Amino acid sequence: MLGFIKKDLLMIKSNLKIFAILLLIYIVMAFQGQMDLSFLLPFMSVMVMISTFSYDFYNKWDAYAISLPNGRKNSVKAKYLATIILIIATTIIITILSFTISYVKTKTIDFENIIPTMIGSLFATVLIQSFMYPANYKFGPEKARIVLITIVFSVAIIMGVVTTYVDLSPLIKILDSISAYWLIAIPISMILMLYVSYKISEKIYNKKEM
Amino acid sequence: MENILEVKNLCKKYNGFELQNINITLPKGMIMGFIGENGAGKTTTIKAILDIIKNYTGEIKIFGLDNKKYDKKIKEDIGVVLDDMFFPEILTPNDINTIMKDIYKNWDSKLYFKYLTDFSLPANKAIKTLSKGMRKKLEIATAISHHPKLLILDEPTAGLDPIARNEVIDIFQEFIQNEECSIFISSHITTDLEHIADYITFINNGKIILEKTREELLEDYGIVKCSKEDFEKIDKKDFIKYKKSKYEYEILVENRKAFNKKYDINTIDKITLEELMVLMIKGEK
Repeated sequence: MLGFIKKDLLMIKSNLKIFAILLLIYIVMAFQGQMDLSFLLPFMSVMVMISTFSYDFYNKWDAYAISLPNGRKNSVKAKYLATIILIIATTIIITILSFTISYVKTKTIDFENIIPTMIGSLFATVLIQSFMYPANYKFGPEKARIVLITIVFSVAIIMGVVTTYVDLSPLIKILDSISAYWLIAIPISMILMLYVSYKISEKIYNKKEM
Repeated sequence: MENILEVKNLCKKYNGFELQNINITLPKGMIMGFIGENGAGKTTTIKAILDIIKNYTGEIKIFGLDNKKYDKKIKEDIGVVLDDMFFPEILTPNDINTIMKDIYKNWDSKLYFKYLTDFSLPANKAIKTLSKGMRKKLEIATAISHHPKLLILDEPTAGLDPIARNEVIDIFQEFIQNEECSIFISSHITTDLEHIADYITFINNGKIILEKTREELLEDYGIVKCSKEDFEKIDKKDFIKYKKSKYEYEILVENRKAFNKKYDINTIDKITLEELMVLMIKGEK
């Protein structure tokens, strides 16, 4: 198992330079107030992990992975564990950077804004990845991207229609009244999403002809 | 003799192609060459042996164990080279070592780096910067660095120049010095197999059409070259296939010596695997 996780992390490491340069540009933009760093979290971790799917696909790694001990079982599990490691690492880095930028700019740390935005970004990251991974295993990275874009646009259109024609104030009131539970509900729902996504991916991978 | 690989009645259907009742038996300590033209079913058979493809029927035993039931145990002792390049090209040979030492229980880093040195492979360069031949050598080094008992190799010498092919063949011969070890190797570069294979299994259009020892094939089989007049005198049951070329007839016979005794035709040569393949596939009966 560890070998498979290391493979994904080493692939990410090989592209680290590109991501470090991107991060640097965004830090400069954040200092100038043009960008909120917390939005980087979904963008970067999704991009980084999807690139590992692309390399696996184009280098036909999966057929070889299955010829290794416990390959079919561990390949998918390792991808999700590498994702969790990456999300934790990116969250820590982005949180520290956001706190630092906030402190340098205002001499105080804006916890009230940064933490909810971070949690929201984290949730969005897990949501996107939970959809993307089974799609990647099923259709390959090229088609999975189209699936993702379709999902995002469909959700945006549905949300747009709903917010225009439906009065959502009662729902917002309910959400406000349970806001104290969000701290528990959000992590649980993220774990649940990843778990369901993992189980679907595992099923797809087990049936897949390589 | 103990069998290291047994395939019984393997069948697999695709749209437009079918593997039909494949039977293979590889005894311990032997090398089996698996030959056939492109698309004959070599890779599909190998992928079924490794349980990479699904929905096939039949029985596959490796080291006497069912390939699905004992998947992990079996794969600890198998070294694999597949026909396509399969390492993520942004990784380096060093990375491969880091990964494999946590995948195989018996991974031998020292041996792996010895092979890298022997093959003049750079440890720190991304795989994408290596030539096709170097990548193949890296795959072979990886396949044998955990002391496997069986090597399953799909076209391992394809794309290699003659010198690199020679180096690779030497490695296989060194590997087989340990009588516990066996090799199942598919190739359409038949000259490589003439040097190393103990058994030759020939697959065509999803069916095994020939399974013989190398001695039987290269010593007993023969190719008769004769005129049309001579060809017409030969009884049909005395040859396997024939091919008509511009000036002569080429006839594949199962027993050179017996044929020579029966007919007064002097041009009977030993057959090469390449000639055998061409006559078996393109020849008529």
